[in-house]
Amino acid sequence: MDINICITGAAGDGVKEAGELCAKLFSELGYYAFVYQEYQSRIRGGHNASIVRVSDKPVHSHRKYYDLLVCLEDYVYRIHEPYVRGDIIYDTKFSCEKGGIGIPMTEIVKEANEPMIFRNAASLGAIAAYYSIDFGVLEDVFVRTFGEKAKDDVVISKAAYDHFLEHHQAKMSVERVGERREVVAGSKAIAEGLIAAGLEYYYAYPMTPASPILHYIIKKRRDIIAYQPESEIAAVNMAIGSAFAGKRSATGTSGGGFALMSESIGMAGMAEVPLLIIEAQRVGPSTGMATYHAQDDLNFVLYPSHGEFPLVVASPYTIEDAYKLSAELMNLAWKYQTPAILLTDKHLVESLQTAELHGAEIEETEIVRSSDGVMKRYELTESGVSRYAVPPAIAKFNSNEHTEYGITTDSAEVRKAMHDKRVRKEKLILEDVRGKGYVEYFKGKEAVVTWGSTFGALYEVVEELGYRLIVIRYLRPLVLPELEKAKVVECNRTGQLAGLLESRGVRVERVLKWDGRPFTPEELREVLG
Amino acid sequence: MSSILKEIEWCPGCGNFGIFKAFRNAVKRLGKDGIEKGRIVVVAGIGCHGKLPDYIDQPSFHTIHGRVLPMLTGIKLANPDLLPVGFSGDGDALNEGMEHFIHAAKRNTDVALFLHNNEVFGLTTGQFTATTPKGRRTRTTPFGNPEDPVNPCLLALISGATFVARGYAGNIKQLEELMYRAILHRGFSFLEILQPCVSFNNTWDLLRENVHEVSPAESFDDALRLVMDRFATGVLFKTEKETFEEILHKNRV
Ligand SMILES: Cc1ncc(C[n+]2csc(CCOP(=O)(O)OP(=O)(O)O)c2C)c(N)n1
Ligand code: SF4
Repeated sequence: MDINICITGAAGDGVKEAGELCAKLFSELGYYAFVYQEYQSRIRGGHNASIVRVSDKPVHSHRKYYDLLVCLEDYVYRIHEPYVRGDIIYDTKFSCEKGGIGIPMTEIVKEANEPMIFRNAASLGAIAAYYSIDFGVLEDVFVRTFGEKAKDDVVISKAAYDHFLEHHQAKMSVERVGERREVVAGSKAIAEGLIAAGLEYYYAYPMTPASPILHYIIKKRRDIIAYQPESEIAAVNMAIGSAFAGKRSATGTSGGGFALMSESIGMAGMAEVPLLIIEAQRVGPSTGMATYHAQDDLNFVLYPSHGEFPLVVASPYTIEDAYKLSAELMNLAWKYQTPAILLTDKHLVESLQTAELHGAEIEETEIVRSSDGVMKRYELTESGVSRYAVPPAIAKFNSNEHTEYGITTDSAEVRKAMHDKRVRKEKLILEDVRGKGYVEYFKGKEAVVTWGSTFGALYEVVEELGYRLIVIRYLRPLVLPELEKAKVVECNRTGQLAGLLESRGVRVERVLKWDGRPFTPEELREVLG
Repeated sequence: MSSILKEIEWCPGCGNFGIFKAFRNAVKRLGKDGIEKGRIVVVAGIGCHGKLPDYIDQPSFHTIHGRVLPMLTGIKLANPDLLPVGFSGDGDALNEGMEHFIHAAKRNTDVALFLHNNEVFGLTTGQFTATTPKGRRTRTTPFGNPEDPVNPCLLALISGATFVARGYAGNIKQLEELMYRAILHRGFSFLEILQPCVSFNNTWDLLRENVHEVSPAESFDDALRLVMDRFATGVLFKTEKETFEEILHKNRV
């Protein structure tokens, strides 16, 4: 089984939640699901869509064409109608030009005396009926999601469910295929990965699409201090301050906010402070398209600040990997006392998927907490790593070039030795990540290379098209797979990963998309087939 | 003077020497009270004032321009047992760092900020800052500063600071007392230090003639009047309020 359902309406219609609940409905029966959320940067009106892909095999992407369109507004219908390859369920508050299955959602909600956002519950009732899923399953989903407050949803969805079965034929019968699966948002996976790796402080200034990470941590974990300060500059410096005081901390933002953090990233490099930044890309430059997807910050994030210093940049390719990788980066930041950046994207952070989160854990590092007199915080060591020390140990951190004791200096000799010491860490980091730098799938004649969430759609088509697939996880240090030539697939206009591979001698062919929407398998089949 | 550094890099006659001496005395006094040196964590910004961490044997962070306060906040939140002290210049705290200044005061973050107010950029050789008087000629205002200056104590007061004081680099005894009290104050303590810069704004004579000591205001309204006297020194205003860190740690389960 493989179905692709699009639920669409205006902002304020609860389309996002409907998509999540729809995925939960099928995952309750043991199916795999993936939800792509497309929405505009506005609070009411406009158009929102949740595309829910359900399958009995693991899925990492949505499809372009819909087997079922659930439509809550007539003008939105017109936008999505070209992609319908199956049925349409619509609210009879408007008449659907193409016909379809009308459900009086507005009337049902009015009768129950609830606000119009409850039409999303009605639409779920209709979906459950369309696939002849026992109503009890949907009820369980509501109760598990909303607890006590689920009552109103249950009443409304039941009315829509009954109406459907009285007037229409179910399309097919979806049977249970296994145990319930968890539906996880990318933002949650990242947050949980950080927490598993010992996060205690999270500072972030709201910016789509990174905000859900902040929301999640604030709401779910009362033992963590998560706070919204006055700006991204404040956020990153608070994170550095907390790390200086010995606590694992992080910050998260998108391109514009990351630009503001730039100077502080260099400071963390110079002062050798463990700093973890989540950079969730959206369409740029500048404010770009706030709620749309892109992978066009790679070049910037690889070199975010002036001067030379060791930096780790890595990008998760699935929601499950996001959990693992955010923990990996937190641990690396502490092990090597240097900034690390999790470079992700809107499509990964805001999508949902049935996933099991495992493989993240805290790797403790030694921290000196007391000293007799001033210690050699920046002791010149063979590896380049000195002992990390926090107050009340008398450790002096410095954003200026400094001696082993942390005293400002412009001595040529000391500068050279200190700079070498810091950069020496790069070699260790490379050795550390060598085995995790990229992931390979299938044995094909030619290689297709990608990064980040673009993996999802690509994974579905490469095997049938006879390619070998390589997903890069660590972008800096880059662990280069053995390659002479490759097709590089990514969501930007110039081919930034392609450029990186080219600079390492790989002959590349670029397969790019930059319209703010992620690739679908259909599109890739066309360009790669 | 630090055990690991032999030379202080301020111009002879600079007000920073008095400030440094007063701080060392305050730390000694806190030590006698049983507060170990390692708990008094010093963060300094960029400028002549920012060299101060090099001259002390305490945990310190010489951070980047304008960012002393968010770093102090991150430190205090991470370890409420520490006593974070920030040294900042008028350029550092009130030009680049203005947003942080207002917010730290508004939150009543439990840290102390010592502002070296020499009304000029020292380290970058004499440009105007947020506190440079109107009409003053500097390297970047050769025809006179067109802007009115910010009054740091007034700004701290209306932003919500719970301890507002002013001292003078030439009165080390009083400065030591003010620093001592500011560090022990629970909440955001702001101490403006009138500091001559012998190279670009030599105000020794002006200050010596005009500074005078006052007693703390009885009310907020009173304090508003008191801070308007640019030469009034002493604790100008003091009140008690729950701190930012206390609230956040209380919310933690
Ligand atoms: C982001 C940034 N901008 C500019 C500078 C250059 N800079 C160094 S010190 C300084 C002015 C410092 O003035 P102030 O804070 O008043 O300190 P003072 O030197 O007077 O003690 C400036 C602008 C810098 N280091 N970083
Ligand atoms: S330039 Fe001014 S502030 Fe800087 S050390 Fe010299 S006198 Fe002091």
